[in-house]
Amino acid sequence: MVFDPTSLRPLFPILSQPAYDHPLVYLDNAATTQKPLWVLDAIQDYYRSFNANVHRGAHFLSDRATNRFEQARETVARFINAPLQSHVIWTKGATEAINTVAYGLEHLLEKGDEILITSLEHHANLVPWQQLAFRTGARLRVLPLTSKGEWEEEYARYFTDRTRIFAATQISNAIGTSTPLQVMLDLAKQQGAFTLVDGAQAVAHYPVDVQALDCDFYVFSGHKMYGPTGIGVLYGKNHALEVLMPYQTGGEMVRHVSHQATEFNVLPYRLEAGTPHIEGVIGLAAACDFLCTQDRLALLAWEQSLARHVYTRLHKAGGIELYSPEKNTTLVSLSVPNIHILDLNAYLDSQGVAVRAGSHCAHPLMAQLGVAGTLRASFACYNTMEEANRFCDVLLEAIDLLNEE
Amino acid sequence: MTDPLGQQRPIDIKAQLQACRSKEDTFKTLVMLSKTQPRLTAEEKTEDNKIKGCESAVWLIIEEKDGLRHFKADSDAKLMRGVLVAILSLVKGKSLADIQQMDLKAELAELNLSSYLTSSRTNGVLAILDKITSH
Repeated sequence: MVFDPTSLRPLFPILSQPAYDHPLVYLDNAATTQKPLWVLDAIQDYYRSFNANVHRGAHFLSDRATNRFEQARETVARFINAPLQSHVIWTKGATEAINTVAYGLEHLLEKGDEILITSLEHHANLVPWQQLAFRTGARLRVLPLTSKGEWEEEYARYFTDRTRIFAATQISNAIGTSTPLQVMLDLAKQQGAFTLVDGAQAVAHYPVDVQALDCDFYVFSGHKMYGPTGIGVLYGKNHALEVLMPYQTGGEMVRHVSHQATEFNVLPYRLEAGTPHIEGVIGLAAACDFLCTQDRLALLAWEQSLARHVYTRLHKAGGIELYSPEKNTTLVSLSVPNIHILDLNAYLDSQGVAVRAGSHCAHPLMAQLGVAGTLRASFACYNTMEEANRFCDVLLEAIDLLNEE
Repeated sequence: MTDPLGQQRPIDIKAQLQACRSKEDTFKTLVMLSKTQPRLTAEEKTEDNKIKGCESAVWLIIEEKDGLRHFKADSDAKLMRGVLVAILSLVKGKSLADIQQMDLKAELAELNLSSYLTSSRTNGVLAILDKITSH
């Protein structure tokens, strides 16, 4: 049976409003997804019925808040198949999670060590490593892509006995390409490197199993998987989290403090300084619950069919450069020779179609593809085939309008 | 300096933009306006003339003659060229002192262009206004 996205539409009231005088077509899901009623209601319920600070007050509301907060950790642990809930650290998002690791591993790095990333990385999984390299004298190396956006065959040689950290995205936010993670993670582990996977673009689409991936760290943001903004997750294996030096210190992460010294708390609290983003945590757990009630492979197949349909239509139309893989992706990234992507974006917007035009926080990747930026339509489970066709229609209209002199 | 819009008085541009009833109208009008402006030469597109903060590349050259300001501008995006035509129609041939007296943001809002005035990273119209009104 083919998945019917219209069954989900009532859960996303924001989508039923018009944009200017047109139906809103929201295809900027790789930037952030819309939130289902599950999440909206959970956040409201938190403030209406159990708002209190967690882990401290011994009173009715504080107990309720703490229980729900720690249940949320359990929910997220199950969502990514983490063996223990104490391996789930709350962060502001994927960016803070990566920074927590980059600062936390600094004390283990020496001059001449190598940090290896891929060409597909979002700035969030590039700049923290580059800066770590600057601070420690380590060398940042980058697994290259060919000009066609494919992996170079000989990438094994980039994994050396100096590779201390290997950090890679699961899926490119800019062009939708997947990383051959299993092979790369194996190569990294053979060299004894710490491994980090940036799952920001994956969690909304793919069931994630961190034990099967067997990486040391896995990071993602809540807002790209139907959850709230400002909350994300750093998962780590026990030994990997244990070696991290806390990069933020303060309340919550301590066991005992004197003016002379501080004894840090145990995991996960040791890496969570300050009052956490409680409403975000509650909302993120609700987003996991929402996804877990769905047939996730059916959702994925649907999103991929939308992207494939758009790819095929635009490929047939001709005159459009397509940067995404043809298959197995949930977004389409493109440019049109001699037409500025911001002009295309402006016309799409005038017709109520929301996409993203730009470099997608991946300047080096854009440089490698030889473009200043691309136009990206990215799909979520609530998008319909009509919306996919509407995007194609309006884009082709825009090209006609902008091509005539 | 030849004025490419010499035949077209500011009021026409204003009237055309004000007549726009939708985002789509404004889009089409800006595309039309973009064609009324001559492009800059490669030599004129220097780093110095480039406005920082625009996601599309924008170049703006200011020339002073008899105490009055004249402008030449270009962008790699058509819509931005149209916006430049609209902005420059408000200020061309005026003295810096007169230009500084103007509430350019309000005037652009009257032209249905307020959505181009947000401080978002997708446009650098504010940076363009800064350059127009500075010494």
